[in-house]
Amino acid sequence: MPRRKPPQQRRPQRYKDVLHGNGRHRSNDFRCVGCRLDVSLDAPGTAHRNHCPNCLASLHVDHRVPGDRASDCRGRMEALSLTVRPDGEWMIIHQCLSCGELSANRIAGDDNALALMRLALRPLQDRRVAHRALLTAL
Amino acid sequence: MSSNNIDPQHTIARHVLGTEAFACVRCGLTVSALAPDGRRRNHCPSCLYSRHVLDQVEGGASECGSRMSPISIAVLRTGDWMLIHRCVRCDELTSNPVCGDDNQLILMRMAVRPLAEPPFPLEAFGTL
Repeated sequence: MPRRKPPQQRRPQRYKDVLHGNGRHRSNDFRCVGCRLDVSLDAPGTAHRNHCPNCLASLHVDHRVPGDRASDCRGRMEALSLTVRPDGEWMIIHQCLSCGELSANRIAGDDNALALMRLALRPLQDRRVAHRALLTAL
Repeated sequence: MSSNNIDPQHTIARHVLGTEAFACVRCGLTVSALAPDGRRRNHCPSCLYSRHVLDQVEGGASECGSRMSPISIAVLRTGDWMLIHRCVRCDELTSNPVCGDDNQLILMRMAVRPLAEPPFPLEAFGTL
């Protein structure tokens, strides 16, 4: 039977007025709010570093579009969970500790692998759900 | 939104009687709006898709109305699972608690999905 719909192309990312140029606010390094590590903006594998590679904490500065710097919150964002894009890339989901807002960002090449694995294994720590799903539901 | 043309009295009556229902935007399943534990649900228990009707950034109703796909599982400190949805049209993220009758196999598949394609070799963790 022929395919009814052609395989869907991945929708391109929306246009972002990237603010990393000289003299803009993202041209400087930043210091992590969680572990006070000085983080350089040159990240292997991504041009949009927004979290600390050591403790994965971020800061709530963007409103709707990544990079717009329009949020008044400035709260601390902790890594909440991991998701995987259809092409296999991991993304971290951050949640703001002061207003509860969620955001997603790609992992960078120098992110702490142990912290990432702890995030990825967090749903499997509780064995009740795994037991119910895999041993009794079938 | 679609609720504008429905008589509010009628909606309240259906809510009190517990017969309120919605159709899933993806699989078309007719789902009762109340979960077995009495809370209101916002996603289909079969395919876990939701609909973007609440604006999470500024609060209130959203004009988007397109479907939201489940992308990840978050675990609260209490051990409860939250389901994270992403709107396919405007990329907004929401989190909602998992209901008791949600499709357990889709939930487990999402939970172990990162381990299927790790970005670094997992053998290195054996020596730590």
